[in-house]
Amino acid sequence: MDEKELVRLAQDGSTDAFEALVTKYQSKVFSMALSFTRNREAADDIAQDVFLKAYLALPKFHLKSEFGTWLYRIAVNHVKDVLRKKGRAREVSLEDVREISVADENLMEKAEMEKEAEARKGLVHKFVQGLPEKYRVIITLRDIQGLAYDEISQVLRLSQGTVDSRLHRARRLLRKKLVPYLGQEGEAHEM
Amino acid sequence: MKCKTAEKWILWSLDGRLDERRKSLLDDHLRTCPACRRLDVEYRAMMALLHESNGEAALPRFWGRLEPRLKEERKLVPLVLWERWALHAIPVFVALVVLAAALFIFTPQTREVSQSETLLIENTNPFTETKNLFEQRPPERRSMMLIFASLDEKPSARRRIP
Repeated sequence: MDEKELVRLAQDGSTDAFEALVTKYQSKVFSMALSFTRNREAADDIAQDVFLKAYLALPKFHLKSEFGTWLYRIAVNHVKDVLRKKGRAREVSLEDVREISVADENLMEKAEMEKEAEARKGLVHKFVQGLPEKYRVIITLRDIQGLAYDEISQVLRLSQGTVDSRLHRARRLLRKKLVPYLGQEGEAHEM
Repeated sequence: MKCKTAEKWILWSLDGRLDERRKSLLDDHLRTCPACRRLDVEYRAMMALLHESNGEAALPRFWGRLEPRLKEERKLVPLVLWERWALHAIPVFVALVVLAAALFIFTPQTREVSQSETLLIENTNPFTETKNLFEQRPPERRSMMLIFASLDEKPSARRRIP
């Protein structure tokens, strides 16, 4: 069934239609929440809250945008709220990054012995979380979630030019943080 | 090409947003600039790590856990409907108040009709009464009646006599 039709049915009170929408988007919302929290239980709570909020706000949704875009907007705003409340939205300056890098070298060595890939993922997430909020959100939406530029532009209510420039700055910042760990990877790519 | 431009184009290229002409220019630059080549490699590695992080499946029984919460919220639906209705009702109410106020302000007030106007409306000769007064005899009585009649009249706009 067409997504718009599902939304209309859900607006008329059909639980089955809303279930279909939840089934379609649950992994995306959960995955996005996980990108921010790195905790599966916390991400699950966030995803549940996001769908609850969407359900309550459904009568106010006039199908002017895609349902997914609208849902992402709710999700991003909710995640921001949760992180602010938990005080985890701490912005990390470039000076702080060096401290994190040194501390994580031990983590990296340990990871080589255990699961290197998992550790690298964790490390990347740690650095992503260390970015200022506006950069963290945009990196998550584009490079982790894979949203298109125009979708990000709608979700964050920014012009595409702003999305482009902000993403550029975010990636530069993240690369600078990750440089010590990208060396080996880089050589492998060069070969 | 400047290295700053090259960095921007590397990122565009990773997003698949670089046209063939620019891609070719970038490739030329990368062949001659080791610093930008290193940047390209680092960005590619970083993107690969970021992409790896996507695609996590939600925890089991996601809908099963969500549905009871929705049912709980549905009990509050009348409140939600009221809220929705109220959102439309507030501007309507404000508009009605403004309309009522405008009607009150701009409607001409009913004023007391003078005796002459009443006579005019009733299509009665306004001089009948006056004629009776003037025909009174003796003159003292006529004067007295004129004085009392003038007391009933509203003060008219007369030219002030200095």
